[in-house]
Amino acid sequence: MTDVAESPSTRWLYAPETIIVSGCLIALIAFGVRSTAGLFTAPISDAHGWGREVFGFAMAMQNLIWGLAQPFAGMIADRYGAMRVVMVGALIYGAGTALMAFADSPGVLFLGGGVLMGIGIALTSFSIIMAAFGRLVAPEKRSWSFGIATAASSMGQFVFAPLGHLFIAAYGWQNALLLLAASTLLMIVLSVPLGASKGGAARGEREIDLSMTEALQRGFGHGSYLLLISGFFVCGFQIAFLTVHLPAYLVEHGISASLAAWAIGIVGLFNVIGSYFAGIYGGHASRRQGLVFIYLARSAIIAAFILLPVTAISTVLFTASMGLLWLSTVPLTVGLVTLMFGTRYMATLYGFVFFSHQVGSFFGVWLGGYLYDRYGTYDPVWWLSIALGVFAAIVHWPIREQLAASFAAPAPR
Amino acid sequence: MLAREHRLALGLFLSLLLAALVATVIAVRASALPDEASGKMLAVFDPRLDEQAMFAALVRAGGRPLRRTWLSSVWVVAGDTPGFAGSLRQAGAIGAYGELPISPELAGCFAYADARTRELFALRP
Repeated sequence: MTDVAESPSTRWLYAPETIIVSGCLIALIAFGVRSTAGLFTAPISDAHGWGREVFGFAMAMQNLIWGLAQPFAGMIADRYGAMRVVMVGALIYGAGTALMAFADSPGVLFLGGGVLMGIGIALTSFSIIMAAFGRLVAPEKRSWSFGIATAASSMGQFVFAPLGHLFIAAYGWQNALLLLAASTLLMIVLSVPLGASKGGAARGEREIDLSMTEALQRGFGHGSYLLLISGFFVCGFQIAFLTVHLPAYLVEHGISASLAAWAIGIVGLFNVIGSYFAGIYGGHASRRQGLVFIYLARSAIIAAFILLPVTAISTVLFTASMGLLWLSTVPLTVGLVTLMFGTRYMATLYGFVFFSHQVGSFFGVWLGGYLYDRYGTYDPVWWLSIALGVFAAIVHWPIREQLAASFAAPAPR
Repeated sequence: MLAREHRLALGLFLSLLLAALVATVIAVRASALPDEASGKMLAVFDPRLDEQAMFAALVRAGGRPLRRTWLSSVWVVAGDTPGFAGSLRQAGAIGAYGELPISPELAGCFAYADARTRELFALRP
């Protein structure tokens, strides 16, 4: 299972359970700390007398840089292994978070909260963790491991968002940022078990050996990969739109703040469950069909929600069902990348799929606000989300769920 | 009987919840107002208490109940007497807070809820 020589004294360190737990904790911290970033909008803006757009720009930059850096982070992880990438990423992530505490000009905030945090997240994100799991976990447990890593990331926001809030209240926003920065450094220690693989293909699996450029050329020349990339754009669009605009929509339709708060908690909880079970499902059934189902189901659920009167019951049903479908696309999408191209270039090739997701996220957030301001209602974006869900189901349908011919290893002589 | 991997997942999930709970308790305690504080503040009660019992406790502490928040066991109350926060605790409140930042967060891969969202749920006196 591992690339490193195992002595009895280090066997526990590279045991599958240790690898899974440490990888999940890294995913949790990486995703969790960033989910607290928005909490600092008011304290930082007020402390420096900046408009909210300064902080908003830093966060937009962070998301964009994360998306842009992800394929490159993947290339480094595929070449040198996840451990080193996560270690460097944790340092950059921590430095960026700490720098936010001392930012006395917008430029420093953009550098810390935007550039450094964005790069740090890319280097420690669940994309890197799942690529490591792909190499280190037995093939029959691979999809499950993608599911638990996604679920752990989802837990991250569940754990860190309220804690971040409380840290600000208890210790002040600057100390809260420093505490969060310190917690990112835990990822350095947690990454050690991932050192069981130094990159390359999973042990025991015969995979083609290509240069990175060649792997990318072959990947982008594979039709199913392009379909997967275009479909994942929709995931980003829908989730980001709901993330930012759902609470306001609920309150606008007469749902109490109390219920809206519960509804959002329900999304978070069901997201953990949905991600985990999507991983299990992907290990036993067609990932492509799973994705088709998820996108069609999202469209149907959104349509029902906006066509029926918005009530307490419809809100709870909507948020629970959307929660189940929230990040459940991730284990299946990662699983398809692994199936089509193997594990050797997995982090890189998934990185490009993920970039498409982030572009979709940008449009989901931006168009949600833009069309609302223009038409005074969220209806156009809801309908766009529904149409995009159908589009995603259509583009996933013809995906060939098999190893790409251009990535087949030559037969041994 | 759960398979080994599901037991691992469940154990991890429960451990994380426990760790989060401990960290939350520590942070909540650290964010409480000192006993000598006075003015407008949030009073937090045991959620099992009924509305009348909470109201009576606020009055007993010498405060003016202003409103109940969206969390039914959290009240906004004003009291000008020095030591009002301590009186609230003596009257049965779990704690007194300047701000109780309980705000659910949604996160996809673009986890950044805007300020408007947070304002919807902010608990401030």
